[in-house]
Amino acid sequence: MECSILQTNIEKRGLVFDPRTKLLLLLTMATFVLGGAGQKIGLGRLVFSSISSCLCVLPFVLLLASKKKKVAFTYAVLYLVMLCVFIFVTPITKGLLNFLILGTAGIITRFLPSIVLGAYVVSSTTVSEFTAAMLRMHVSEKLIIPLSVMFRFFPTVGDEFQSINLAMRMRGIGFGGKNVGKMLEYRLIPLLSCSVKIGEELSAAALTRGLGGNVKRTNVCEIGFQIQDILLILLCGAAFFLLILSTFGML
Amino acid sequence: MIEIKHVGFTYANSDSGTLTDISLEIKKGECVLLCGRSGCGKTTVTRLLNGLIPHYYEGTVSGSVAIDKLEVTKAELYETSKIVGSVFQNPRSQFFCVDTTSEIAFGCENMGLPVNTVRERIAQAAQELNVTKLLGRNIFHLSGGEKQKIACASISAMQPEIFVLDEPTSNLDVNAIEDLRNTLLSWKAAGKTIVIAEHRLYWLKDICDRVVYIQDGSIAFDIPMKAFLEFSTEHLAKLGLRSLSMEAFHVEPMEAKGGAELILKDYCFSFDGLQALNIPQLSVPIGGMIAVIGLNGAGKSTFSKCFCGLERKFKGKAVFDGTAYGRREMLKKSYLVMQDVNHQLFCESVMDEIQLGMDEENMNDVDTILKELGLADLSQRHPMSLSGGQKQRVAIASAILANKEFLIFDEPTSGLDFQHMEQTAGLLRSLWGRKTAFIITHDPELIVRCCTHVLKLEQGCVADFYPLFNETKNRFADFFYKNNN
Amino acid sequence: MKKEKLNGKDLMNVGIYSAIYFVIVFVIAMLGYIPIFMPLICVIAPIICGIPFMLFLTKVKKFGMILIMSLIMGLMMLLTGMGYYSIIVGAISGLAAEAVYKSGGYKSVVKAVLTSGVFSIWMWGNFIPLFTNIDQYFSTRQDYGQEYIDTLTSIMPLWMCPVLFIAAIVCGIIGGLIGKNLMKKHFVKAGIV
Repeated sequence: MECSILQTNIEKRGLVFDPRTKLLLLLTMATFVLGGAGQKIGLGRLVFSSISSCLCVLPFVLLLASKKKKVAFTYAVLYLVMLCVFIFVTPITKGLLNFLILGTAGIITRFLPSIVLGAYVVSSTTVSEFTAAMLRMHVSEKLIIPLSVMFRFFPTVGDEFQSINLAMRMRGIGFGGKNVGKMLEYRLIPLLSCSVKIGEELSAAALTRGLGGNVKRTNVCEIGFQIQDILLILLCGAAFFLLILSTFGML
Repeated sequence: MIEIKHVGFTYANSDSGTLTDISLEIKKGECVLLCGRSGCGKTTVTRLLNGLIPHYYEGTVSGSVAIDKLEVTKAELYETSKIVGSVFQNPRSQFFCVDTTSEIAFGCENMGLPVNTVRERIAQAAQELNVTKLLGRNIFHLSGGEKQKIACASISAMQPEIFVLDEPTSNLDVNAIEDLRNTLLSWKAAGKTIVIAEHRLYWLKDICDRVVYIQDGSIAFDIPMKAFLEFSTEHLAKLGLRSLSMEAFHVEPMEAKGGAELILKDYCFSFDGLQALNIPQLSVPIGGMIAVIGLNGAGKSTFSKCFCGLERKFKGKAVFDGTAYGRREMLKKSYLVMQDVNHQLFCESVMDEIQLGMDEENMNDVDTILKELGLADLSQRHPMSLSGGQKQRVAIASAILANKEFLIFDEPTSGLDFQHMEQTAGLLRSLWGRKTAFIITHDPELIVRCCTHVLKLEQGCVADFYPLFNETKNRFADFFYKNNN
Repeated sequence: MKKEKLNGKDLMNVGIYSAIYFVIVFVIAMLGYIPIFMPLICVIAPIICGIPFMLFLTKVKKFGMILIMSLIMGLMMLLTGMGYYSIIVGAISGLAAEAVYKSGGYKSVVKAVLTSGVFSIWMWGNFIPLFTNIDQYFSTRQDYGQEYIDTLTSIMPLWMCPVLFIAAIVCGIIGGLIGKNLMKKHFVKAGIV
């Protein structure tokens, strides 16, 4: 199982961005699309709805640039369908159906761009790039170390879970059993005890290589802002600038 | 260089591995082998050296451990880590990063070395250990042997004076062991001090100068390797040690009982476009104990998953008693005892465990089976609290009670000492004639003790298949020891 | 309690348990892809996550570990595109959870169960965007008529906000209790704790 949260194929990747740019993008997305910030009347409305539209197109472009065509087009189709449903289908339905469709389409159009951008970020960043970026942003090591352990540990938890599932299938215990609690217990307990054991070995190995020392860690991973980063940063900056302007009533 | 003086240690939550009184002096450049039965305390000694005791594994410690002027028991772990590098048993759990380059850099980064120095050291270590090709790869996609090499390179880059290895070959195949041997030789040539705790001894013959045998937490003897090589296999067995060479192996001929055949048809499987398994047809005797050997990546685990019906896309059939059985039926008829048995123990007592998924009509056999497998006294214990061998037996008991006809064992003796290996062999032999078993293993000593046939896989194909007698033992001995004689 | 600094071992523990915790949250969050089930995440996730969380608490002996885990969860939410709200909520609720557990001297079982409840509040943070700007959001689409906005705002009516908040705490406590029992049943016997 590929438990792909910050586990990247280092070999094949297209356009590379600095992790800090990606974080800024996520923040911008969260503010404007997810949070729907901005003025909603007059000229401001036009400005901010075009900013959100821009941001909604961005995950598609970025996914294409990093050679993930399938995901990119799935996103585009799903988003457009939901948008059309929202605009065209909801006015002609009534009652419960309207309620369900509106709810589904509303939530999806709102959360999907952000989630897909998130998927792009985690699949296009390597753990070492990410920690290097955190280090550059002067985040405390007390946060960086657990984070890197966590990223390292995701595939392990996935593997363990898969092995346990295989073992259950051989014993003829499926998820469809009568007792949901027992099914959960049978999975979670071995998962926890196996993961904890591996975790202990992992800690021991890391500590014997000097983790948690009194000197500041260095990081060999090269990150830095390129032209493509600057473009995106300008875009995000402009959006926030307009937001500030509008908050002070200057737009 | 290393001075251990009257050290005693008891783990806070376990009796195994306790040290009573250890005194040991190791000079610079020496290469010392620590051996003994499981639980004798050899791993504990390695943990004293790298400082994991008492800083990570808690317990009561007495005496002193000094490396040059550093008091390991008092110094912080990161201080000790600068002069002592450690390689552990399990390649899966000892890397911290996700890609190989960062992993090799990890130790140096922790020391706070300047980036340029770290880069130089990565290049140097990678070249020395011949892993330049592996740089920049995802570690999760490497084989066990490659992971172990990266672990060594990561330690090497820190340039410690002392290397401590704790059963580093438990999960490796023959080629990977050979690689590790070369790594150790290069460290030795560089004048480094090496301390290694190990069960498999044959590959260390020309590496270690000194053999320290530990028994019940103290040193029973401390002799030069030369004297140790004189020991007979019987003597080694009495000490609970694995043999040093292959010659002494004696096959106890066992024949498959019955004479019926199991025919495997279309055992082909590929993922990501790579052919992982390609066996058009193979017949094996029913009731046979078949050793499955081959290098890592030869298709052994794919074979076992396909056989047990765990690969959903697998189309092959198993034919016996005149019927062809597909994936779903095989899932009901076979059972895989995993390398990490912990994955297949779910319940809160041994009794519940073996009855889970049991065939109702076997209710009366429960006690008999428990007794037969030596589990009668343990029936109310929590499966996770048992020893490795006992867990294995619980898994086997549940397979027998669920009417499984075919058992597959995935490396049942990895990391076991002589005595436990013999116990497992005895257990497997007791299944002989009742069940058909495939035993995936890297352990020739296990094979000669309990197998009737040897199946050698190479790149997913059957490279060789033959019944095992004294006359045929050299055929697989060549595979295991080709580089070591 | 002496003021002790967190060492490498503690930080590793935080990372390992965060991984287990997050994987479970992630699997449950897949349910959220059916949008109507979204609020249910606030109920199911704290219950199931209570189990690894209780195990985690047995390793917590110093100030800061719970807070760090809480922040990590918030950060992961940002990374997976759920916005920055959970970071803010997580920072506060993590601190509160820390205080609760500390008041029990880092060993009281009752306090541990409560801690599990307080800790779970971070999950509620994910739902904030559903409430905060909902009127504003749909005001951009006023041309679709007042009726639709009314229907939509009623899917996540404002009273759901405190309800989800309480649900997270209560379910966290339930999860803690289940975790406590399972621990007694399995891990203590197996010698892991």
